[in-house]
Amino acid sequence: MSTPLLELRDVYRSFEKDRVTIPVLQDINLAVHENEILCIVGESGCGKTTTGKIIAGLNDPSSGSVLIRGRERATFTKEEQSKLRREFQIVHQDPFASLNPAHTIEQILSFPLKRHKLVSDRASLRRRIWELLTLVDLTPPGDIVNKYPHQLSGGQRQRVSIARALTVQPRLIVADEAVSMVDVSIRVGILKMLHQLRAEFGMSIVFITHDLALAKYFAWEGRIAVMYLGRIVEIGRTPDVIGNPAHPYTRALLAAVPEADPDITRRKQPMRLRSDDIPKLTAIPRGCAFHPRCPFFVPGTCDHDVPTLAPSAEHPQEFACTPLQQEGSLQPYAT
Amino acid sequence: MNLFATVASPTGLALGVVVGIVPLVLSAYYRQWRAGLLGALACIMAGFGCGLIGGLPMMVVACAVVISYAYVNRQDPFTSRAALSEVSFEETRREAFMRWMANLGTNVRAGLNALMRNKSGFIGFCGIMFFVIVTVFGPLFIEYEGRARLDRRQPGARSLLAGPSSEHPLGLDWQGRDVLSHMVYGGQRLILTSLAAGLFATILAVVLGSAAALLGRYVDSLITTIANFILTIPSFPLLLVIASIIKFDDSFALALLFAALNWPVLMRAVRAQVLSLRERDYVEAAIALDLGLWHIISREVFPNMISYIAVNYIFTVRVAMYSIVGLVFLGLVPLVEPDWGVMIFMGRQQGVLANPLAAGMLLSPVVAIALFQLSLVLFTRSLEEVFNPRLRSGL
Repeated sequence: MSTPLLELRDVYRSFEKDRVTIPVLQDINLAVHENEILCIVGESGCGKTTTGKIIAGLNDPSSGSVLIRGRERATFTKEEQSKLRREFQIVHQDPFASLNPAHTIEQILSFPLKRHKLVSDRASLRRRIWELLTLVDLTPPGDIVNKYPHQLSGGQRQRVSIARALTVQPRLIVADEAVSMVDVSIRVGILKMLHQLRAEFGMSIVFITHDLALAKYFAWEGRIAVMYLGRIVEIGRTPDVIGNPAHPYTRALLAAVPEADPDITRRKQPMRLRSDDIPKLTAIPRGCAFHPRCPFFVPGTCDHDVPTLAPSAEHPQEFACTPLQQEGSLQPYAT
Repeated sequence: MNLFATVASPTGLALGVVVGIVPLVLSAYYRQWRAGLLGALACIMAGFGCGLIGGLPMMVVACAVVISYAYVNRQDPFTSRAALSEVSFEETRREAFMRWMANLGTNVRAGLNALMRNKSGFIGFCGIMFFVIVTVFGPLFIEYEGRARLDRRQPGARSLLAGPSSEHPLGLDWQGRDVLSHMVYGGQRLILTSLAAGLFATILAVVLGSAAALLGRYVDSLITTIANFILTIPSFPLLLVIASIIKFDDSFALALLFAALNWPVLMRAVRAQVLSLRERDYVEAAIALDLGLWHIISREVFPNMISYIAVNYIFTVRVAMYSIVGLVFLGLVPLVEPDWGVMIFMGRQQGVLANPLAAGMLLSPVVAIALFQLSLVLFTRSLEEVFNPRLRSGL
């Protein structure tokens, strides 16, 4: 296989708070290839945003390495790094906070174009701004350019924020919960647009979400990584992960997704977890972090060893569940 | 050398008239008489008040406003509803210049509209303009009476205090001089010194506050410690002590001393603002777009603080004015006439604080200072609307 565009190797990231070290990410191994869609799914606080920021180059791992096309990011010279930075863009969750309220849309889009001399003169600057706004379906562009962010709707702002990321022609866009604060009725439109842009420019997209249904829709041709308490618990092609989930946590998530058909949703059996409390990051359970909640808990195994990611005969995707890897099936835990 | 001297001379007037002709001619060309006349007036005032420094920018702004009126219905392809395939953004240099001017004019007009939308803010603005106009133009019409009519040391001398009369609308002071002339000439120094003191304090606060917030670590703790140290000292008594030791001939030095003692409060506020603003998503986006530190400070963080800084600048000017008047009243600054503060000081010195005939001499500067302060406070209401695009667009 070709060298991935970006690879995280054994990434560990911790934050200090009140002299307590909080491990936010542990043993993250992840690769994003050219023109690929990777979805990172997990509940809030599981480290998916931090992973996204490390991918976008806005945060550095405490240990481990980030490889860009096979070369470690830290070894790039300063000039190369600033160029590199432009290849990785981020689209934030909150469209109300991600655009500076003091600038018009024209200004917001022209700053990067001017700064990096991506346009030669004023006429081409204006043409480029129109092109970008047309690309993100904000038409007619003439109605938008002179507006301030507060005069646009949430969906329109999110499109502007995507257009801003596109100004520097990135190779990868991290969409951090990019549609979770947008009205449900226009979510699909924005997702479709992201798909088209990926096809047109050959970019990769790292799509971070807490909504498995969205991930399923968006990344059907790509891969999904499920995160729990700072670790990846399952990663593989989307149809494999969604169609035949291996890790108990993924199963629980899937069982909780409501379907559009109310009959199916009513007949669905939600998985009974042993506990609804998510452990704190300051006190991550020993062994598999999911074991206090896991209905398939195996004493002595799950609470002892940290499981490693590996595929099995039935599951082509990689997952981190020792009993399933060893036995090939899971037995409900009897109290 | 008085750094704050204004031109306020026939030369300035001539200069104002000359630069005022440009917007007038332009308005004749575009048939926008009203804007042109107001623009010419503004040019004359600015040229008269601040010479070339005021006249030339005012000319550009006035021309821009005239052009913006003329261009109001002209369609710019950039804001048209046409499709991308059917528009052309090519334009000659002249067209680009005119569009730039029209844009500037539109922004100036939006700012002025915002200024006028808030009633109390507009009253404050008018109050400030009143004092500025009286201070700048008054000397043209009223002669300064600096010499006493009667030397008190001569035998047979008596107080020459007098109440208002038709000849002297504000009465005469204890030396028999016209109070009105002192009012007209006496504000300039006080107002300019206060404005400068506020400016220095604000610049110090913004620079140190931003540095503390952005550089963090040792710089932050050093600046914050110094600020806390200065905050614990009551600044006005310290100002008194320093002023009684050092002789402040120069209002520039006085303004600097005031700034040195009064930056900490605003510095802490600026630091807190920058700390909060730098964590915003749009700053992170600017980092990802590699727009550079200077861009982030000047274009992402600063525009969101400007209304806050402007309002605080006005409040600092207010405090500075009271402090300076206080120093003068206590006689701790070399007394230079004409000055509103000195008028009050003289009243105290001569023991006429309770003399009804001294009402004109004492109340005039007190009322003027109080009204100027009130105007400043009211004006801050409008500043918020001028600098905040959300309020400016009237949404």
